[in-house]
Amino acid sequence: MQSNLVSFIQVLRSHDVRVSPAETLDAMTVATTLGYANRNLLRDGLAMTLAKTPAEEAVFLACFDRYFYQRLSDFSLGDASAADDEAPPASEEPANETGTQGTATGDASPLVAAAATDPGIAALLESPLMRSLVDNNRNELTVAIGRAAQEVGLQQIQLFTQKGQFTRRILDAMGEEQLRSAVIELERRESPALTELQRYRDILREEVRSYVEREYLLHAEGRTRQFMDEVLSKTRLNNIEHMYLHKVHELVRKMAKKLASRYSRKRRQLKRGQLNMAKTMRRGIANDGVMFNVYWRQIRREKPQILAVCDVSGSVAAYAKFLLMFLYSLQDVLPKVRSFAFASQLGEVSSYFDEYPVEKAIELVNWKYGGATDYGNSLRDFARLALDDINSNTTVIMLGDARNNNGDPALEIMQAIYQRARQVIWLNPESRRVWGSGDSEMLRYQSACHFSAECNNLKQLERIVDQLLKSTH
Amino acid sequence: MQLDDFPQLASVTQIEQGFEAFGYICSTKIATAVFLAFQLRKPILVEGPPGVGKTELAKTTAQLLDLPLIRLQCYEGLDEAKALYEWKYGKQLLYTQVLKEKLGDLLKGAKGLAESVERLHQFGDIFYSEDFLEPRPLLKAMQQERGAILLIDEIDKADYEFESLLLEILSDYQISIPEIGTIKARTSPMVFLTSNNTRDISDALKRRCLHLYIPFPSVELEERIVRSRVPNVDAQLRHQLVEFVHSLRQLDLKKSPAISETIDWARSLLLLHAGQLDEELVRSTLNVLLKFEDDIEAANAELRALLQGARPG
Repeated sequence: MQSNLVSFIQVLRSHDVRVSPAETLDAMTVATTLGYANRNLLRDGLAMTLAKTPAEEAVFLACFDRYFYQRLSDFSLGDASAADDEAPPASEEPANETGTQGTATGDASPLVAAAATDPGIAALLESPLMRSLVDNNRNELTVAIGRAAQEVGLQQIQLFTQKGQFTRRILDAMGEEQLRSAVIELERRESPALTELQRYRDILREEVRSYVEREYLLHAEGRTRQFMDEVLSKTRLNNIEHMYLHKVHELVRKMAKKLASRYSRKRRQLKRGQLNMAKTMRRGIANDGVMFNVYWRQIRREKPQILAVCDVSGSVAAYAKFLLMFLYSLQDVLPKVRSFAFASQLGEVSSYFDEYPVEKAIELVNWKYGGATDYGNSLRDFARLALDDINSNTTVIMLGDARNNNGDPALEIMQAIYQRARQVIWLNPESRRVWGSGDSEMLRYQSACHFSAECNNLKQLERIVDQLLKSTH
Repeated sequence: MQLDDFPQLASVTQIEQGFEAFGYICSTKIATAVFLAFQLRKPILVEGPPGVGKTELAKTTAQLLDLPLIRLQCYEGLDEAKALYEWKYGKQLLYTQVLKEKLGDLLKGAKGLAESVERLHQFGDIFYSEDFLEPRPLLKAMQQERGAILLIDEIDKADYEFESLLLEILSDYQISIPEIGTIKARTSPMVFLTSNNTRDISDALKRRCLHLYIPFPSVELEERIVRSRVPNVDAQLRHQLVEFVHSLRQLDLKKSPAISETIDWARSLLLLHAGQLDEELVRSTLNVLLKFEDDIEAANAELRALLQGARPG
């Protein structure tokens, strides 16, 4: 049972439930304390040590039901069948045989008749696999399937495409070959026993298939999802199909939340400042003027403010969607984020993000501000709207390809922003190699940025945001 | 804590019955948590919406075991001076003043500074001994002879740093005081932490605890709770009012009515001698259940449909 519990914990881990070795030990103690007799009690007890949030608990319950679905029944039956096997080895066996033969002659004479003429089929009927099929001994069958699965390493299953392959291997390991060749043999002879044997074969295949399906859900679902996350975070943002939008959003949220919690922790740290003489003396009065405690002035850090400006013109539209989505999430979780969008003109879009759900907000922004790019004009708009608010606590994030259709870049405004802000960050979806080529003004704008980076997939974005938060604490 | 001392905790069913005797009706899951906490000597982290009886669980356990309940209410800015211990500054000061006069006698005949210091050293660190220690809840819980129930209420309201402070206490049941050394619990207390989930608790803390989530109870369980708390309400009304509260919880409200509100409502209906629910009655007593004007308006709009669902059936 201990090894069972350990492999159950493996399953939990693959479903994103974090279980430490210490918790594994706790789970063992819980299991021994509660005993295995009462399933619900055990489930509740394990849930308390292994699942740490309501969400994890839901995952836990689903996994528990799937995992111990067959295992627990295995145990009662393991005992029973063991007793059957061991207690009357000699006396029961022939009786059993005659019993099956007796019933077989009653219900399924063709097969037995066929066995009488063909030693191959007789041998088949003698095999433990066939015996459990004929006796309809599901428990024994499940045990056999489990054993075979272990042999072929079903727990390694990763992708749904492997299901067929594993089913085949398990069947082979169980000796289904014998059954299969018998079916072919009977087919050749057009024996009346054919349909019955076929039925047994189908039952077996069905059982194995559903077993593989269950195991796949247990072992592979989590890994497949991890794999997907990995793929998604490396895919270029504009290549992602619409169907992944939802998933990407979730990923962004997860990331933004992680960053936000770290961020809020940093904000709370107070820095010790100068000695607060007045307070120290006042508090000292109670102690006859002896200053037992010293008090310090505390420097409260200003909350950093973030201004984000996003290009939504045609050339970057596909990226902008995702950049906007990130902004949306960021505004959701961080205080004081103001968002702006522009193509030829610029406007503040924070209110859209506050009021509408993400898809709607992005659509509205695109509809309102989409068009041909004019960085000069847009920067002037931005200066008018927000330049006065930029101070040494402000971080300005520019998202755009800096392709200005050969217009006036209004570099002086960028420089003004650069001088006032604590930090100016430019994220460009284009590869660094093409910066400055054609109508790209990136190299000139870059001179007015503290930090500029290429950013067109989530991995890069994640790294950049981390850097950003490190410097704003 | 030894099992021999507390036969009340011998099994899950026994705990359940024990709680019931004190008017706390709980699900098997809750009883299992208490059982495990006792067996494994682990703290329980109780989470759930406000008003489902998180604090009550600790109180009832204290009653059941006849142990003192020591409660630490968390809030932002709570620090070790208020949670662990503090030196009795006033007393220390008073003693120094008194001793100042004795100092001359003491040092009489001492030759040179070295000898004076030597003599003073003989007195050791009396000012930093347990006599001058003001125990705060956490330390107090360690000092109880028979053990105690320690309730750390609303841990999510405390600062992040405070959680780290708790780690030593929760895993080893000991407190380190630099001037004295490590104080081990005489009998390890049973610890309940509650959280309303206003922020995430750190993994380190979660790892040391059993995690118990108390959701809103089922209709059947809540009826039993109401019956035990307000025994005079008749069965039909009880069923009706619990059904109504359950349908209220389905609405999108700022704050769903919790068990405590159901009990309050049952009490007020009893005072009003209500025989069964009708629209007028519910409308006038809705403020017992719902605490926000917006919620009351939302519920009022749906009142008829909600009552339809709560017809005695």
